[in-house]
Parts: sequence; structure tokens; C-alpha cells
Amino acid sequence: MQPDVQLSFSDRFRQLRETRFGTFAPVLLALAAIWIYFGITEPAFLSPRNFYFLFMQSAVVGTLAVGITIVLLLGDIDLSVAATSGVCAALMAVLIAMAGVPGPLACLIAIALGIFLATLQGLLVAYVGIPSFVVTLAGLLGFQGLMLKILGTQGAINMRDPFVRGITTITLPAALGWGLAAACVLAFALASFRRQTQRRALGLELEANSTLYGQVIFFAVLAFAAVATLNSYRGIPLLVVLLIGLTALLGWVTTSTPFGRSLFAVGGNAESARRVGMNVKHIRVAAFGIVGMMAAIGGIVGASRYASVSFNAFAGGPLLLEAIGAAVIGGTSLFGGRGSVWNAILGALVIGSLGNGLDLSGASAADKLMFSGAILLLAVAIDAISRSGTSQTR
Amino acid sequence: MTTSSENQKVGPGAPPHSPQLTPHLRVSGIRKRFGGVEALRGVDFDVRRGEVVALVGDNGAGKSTLMKILAGAHHADEGQFFLDEQSVSISSPHDATDLGIQIVYQDLALCENLDVAANLFLGAEPTRPGWQFLPKFLRPIDEMRMEKKALEAIDQLRVRTLQSVRAKVGGLSGGQRQAIAIARAVGAESTVVLLDEPTAALGVAQTRQVLDVVKRLRDNGHAVVYISHNLRDIFEVSDRITVLRHSANVATYDTQDTNPDAIVVAMTRGLDGDGTHAA
Repeated sequence: MQPDVQLSFSDRFRQLRETRFGTFAPVLLALAAIWIYFGITEPAFLSPRNFYFLFMQSAVVGTLAVGITIVLLLGDIDLSVAATSGVCAALMAVLIAMAGVPGPLACLIAIALGIFLATLQGLLVAYVGIPSFVVTLAGLLGFQGLMLKILGTQGAINMRDPFVRGITTITLPAALGWGLAAACVLAFALASFRRQTQRRALGLELEANSTLYGQVIFFAVLAFAAVATLNSYRGIPLLVVLLIGLTALLGWVTTSTPFGRSLFAVGGNAESARRVGMNVKHIRVAAFGIVGMMAAIGGIVGASRYASVSFNAFAGGPLLLEAIGAAVIGGTSLFGGRGSVWNAILGALVIGSLGNGLDLSGASAADKLMFSGAILLLAVAIDAISRSGTSQTR
Repeated sequence: MTTSSENQKVGPGAPPHSPQLTPHLRVSGIRKRFGGVEALRGVDFDVRRGEVVALVGDNGAGKSTLMKILAGAHHADEGQFFLDEQSVSISSPHDATDLGIQIVYQDLALCENLDVAANLFLGAEPTRPGWQFLPKFLRPIDEMRMEKKALEAIDQLRVRTLQSVRAKVGGLSGGQRQAIAIARAVGAESTVVLLDEPTAALGVAQTRQVLDVVKRLRDNGHAVVYISHNLRDIFEVSDRITVLRHSANVATYDTQDTNPDAIVVAMTRGLDGDGTHAA
């Protein structure tokens, strides 16, 4: 339209973010910067052992952030996600410790409870029309109380069930890790090349070959580097595989199915979605159901990792804010309609790395809080800048 | 001229600009009430294939409400709907879509965060075969078929300025957005296209482009309903003009037998001696 107009920096930046992998760029750069900085100042930071702990530490936040991303896509928010996690973890712990329910069954019951609680909130948002902020704020308070009730007077329950503990203690044999990585890279490459061939056959616009090969090589380097690093300590944690699998599933649902498309449509223009016949209320309730599921899974992961369920680990602590922060730092818009579950994982790694690195350098809790705040602010500023460009009509 | 309407084809193969004699879509006695306000008081309306019927009236005359009822976005309190003289019911956007009725809203109702192809097929994404074991909303979208069809739809309307169907709608111009909104309506295998003020926000050149698109729709055998305040556009593009006033019909004119002054009088004062529509 205006080819000769000099592009400003923010225009170029916006164009970069419009590309398929461009949305990853800011958070990947942030992650790289943090890793390089701490790699220089704290030699222990880039050790395989530390990476192992970094991934484990970020897992709970990552799980919750992936869930929150789903409702953020709609332009809603779920403040109760950490509290829901806590309630589910507490119920699971009580079932195992007091009622002798087998671990796997207790986990399933906890997940069902998470879906139930979140769906309830979703129904209030969609059908009663209460803003999600208020509904889930009430949920946050109420579920924290519920968690205290379930935990009883002692306030914490130890978790010794081998199945639950196994989620975070089992690591894969080295060979299996390599095999998995090779399979993933091969599948990614095949899918990319097949898509390119089909697009050429249909006469559609093609990706540049350099982009195509770049993506495959980048992905391969990343996957093999991760496996090599983790294998030189204990091997790939089962948890990492589970979390990546779950994220891949949700990533596929959000980007490649009509349901996922409807999440973006409702977030972008709910009226438009309604007019083309989408049932906005059902979509909203379903999105909350997914958050509930992820919250429960996060609760189980947390219980497994800390080997106990305590009030402070879920409700009193900064888990909720870190989870929302991770989603937003990943580049998911608080205004709805833009974001990705993969970015939430990367955002969780950013927050995890920051905390981990600052811990290593002996920073005080005060410094950590201020750093996290600054990063979050930066992420939202980036979101606001790229949003102001796309919503204006010229 | 009296061909069976079921067989009449929409598309480039249809005979150019030969309106049927019987209405394709006909509604009668439409009533709609919003709380205490009567937005429509027994309105009749019809449109044939291969013609453009302009719907005019002052602000608040009920044009948009009628349009939304035809599109299924509002539910009529009373009234009958006929498609090719078969009684039908329209109570949701899905009903309207199934009957081949598509609407292009004044605000276009596009999702700016999605690309052109995604907007064209919003709510009707083609899915890949072989995934029938999943519920429809979880089957993978056939992105490539969608893009291919999007390109065809855009080409059919000759939207030359659009560079890629993978561009986000948020970055497009007003004329391009309008064209995409129209392409969405046409691409859905529709026979009736409802256009709400399609040129209201456009400059001269882009208005020209949109009017050409409207004529192309008519020549392809679509039944086109056109709401506008711009009488010059209406007299250029329409075959008949239906005037609404105070939530009711005033009259329907053949465009070639009337003139803008008569239409303005009908819009503002109604017909002389027509007691039922007195203010």
C-alpha cells in the first residue's frame, strides 16, 4: 500500500513478529541474554546439573502458564489457577495418605476436580456474565480456604507414593533420550518438507528455502543440545517429556483445529465469532476446563517435586504471579487473540532462569522480586507496542 | 426466463444478469420488538436472483434490524420466511448459512489478529479427511485447501492490491477489508448476499472497487441486498429500491422508473395519502 514509506523501528519489529517463528524471537532473545549473563558471572549456571534443576523448577510454573495461555487467548484471565492447583494436590495427597487410594486413581480424581472447579468458574463467566477477573479472584480466595480445610490442621501432607514421586524422579536412559530427540527432529523435518512439497503442488506461496532449512537445523540443534546436556547429568527427566508432550498436544489444538481457531477468533473479535455461528459461551467454558486440567496437573507435579503438599507452596507463594508472568513474558497478549502455549514454556524458563541465576549469585529476595517485576513490565510493554500497531486502521 | 429456480446456478457459468421472475428470498409480516421499542412492524421484503435490491430508509427505520433478521443474528418475533417459495425458518446464523444467506456487516466483523484465509473461513474451516474419529471441532484444519480456496475467492473478486492471503487483517486498508468481508460471504457458497453500508468508510477509488464487486455478484446470479445512505451508489448499482420508514414498508420501486428525489421524499415523508404509515 505504502511501499516507499520509511519503516520505523517498531514497524520492522512488528513485521518480524508477524512471521511464523517471529513470535518466539523476543522471548528466545531474553532467554539467551539471561543465560549468557549468568553463564559469565556464575560458572555453575551453565552446568548440566543446574540445567536439570532449572527445568524441574520451571515445570510447575510452565504447566500453569500453558493453561493460563488458553484463557488469555480469549482475553480472560484465571487468577485462581494456583489455588486450584493447591486444592487438587491437597485432595490427591489426602486420598493417598488417608484413604489409601492408589496413586494413579488419585491423580485422575485430582484432574477431574481441577476441571470441575475451573468449569464452574467458566460457567459463571460465560453464562452469568461476571468478568473472569472477579470470578477467579473469588475462586482464588475460596479455593485457598478449601485447600486449608482439606489439608487439616497440620497444613502439610507428605507425599511418598512411588507413582506420584516417580513423575519428577524418573529420568530416561541416555539412549532413549537420543532416540526420542532424533524421532522428534525427523518428524519435524519430514512435516516441514512435506508441507513445502504440497504447497508447491498447489501453487501456494512458499517459505524461503533458507527459512525452511534454518528452522529444521535450529530445531535439531536445540533438541540435541538439550539431550546432550541433560544426559551428561542424570538423563532426560520423564517430567520434561510429559510436559513437552502435553504442550505439543495443546499447541496443536490451539493452532490447528477449529476449536483452537475459535479461541483466537473470540479473543480477537468476540462479536465476529458470534456472528459466524461460534458458540462463544461453550468455547469460554471449554477454555476454563482446560485451565483446570493444567492446574491439576501442575498441582500433581508440584506435590511430586516437593514430596509434600503444603499451603505455602501453592497458595501463599508467588506461584500464580509467576505463572501469569511466564505466559505474558512468552508474548501472550493480556488483551486476547495472540499468544502460544510454547511461548508460555519459554516464559516459564525465563522466570525460572532468572530466579535460579539470582539464587546462585546470592541475590536477596528483594533483588529477585525487583528483577522479575522489571522483566514482566518489559514483556507487557512489548505486547502493548505490537498491539497498538495492529489494531489501528490507517 | 421461467426456469426452475432450484437448478439455477450461481457462479460464472450462470447466465449474465437475468433476474428470475419469482423471488428467491421472500419474507412477510416480519415483526421485531426490542423491549418497548418496535423495530419492525410487519415488514415485507423480497429479492430475486441476479438482481440488487437496495434497502433504504432514514436512521432507525429498521433496515439493519431487517438485515440482521435475514442473517439470523436476530430472531424475528413474528413473520414468515420463504426461500424459492418454500417456507423456511431462520433463527440462528447457522440457519441462514445453511440456506445460503450471507451477511457483510458494516463493521465487517473481521478478526484482525487472524490472517485473510482464516477470516474467510471463520467458523467453517475445512478439515482434513481421515480424522473422522475426532469430534468436528478437534479435527485438523486443512490449511492448504483453505488457502487455495481463499486465493480463488480473492481472485474472483479481483482484489489486486492484496499481496498474500496469509497477511493479518489488522494490517490491511479499509477497501481491502471490505473486499475480504464480501469474499467471505461469497466464498461460503451463498445465493443471497446482504451488504450493510459497504462503501460508508471508503474513498472514491475504493468505493468504485466495491461497486464493481457488487455488480459482479449480481452477474454471477446472486441475490444481493444492499443497504446504503448514498443514493448515487444505489442508483448506479441497484435494480429495485425498497423504502422503509418508521419500522414499516413505504414502497418498492424499480430503479429505472424512479429518481433520487422521489426516494428521498418516500424516506422522509412516506407516501401521500398512505394513512397506515403516517408519523
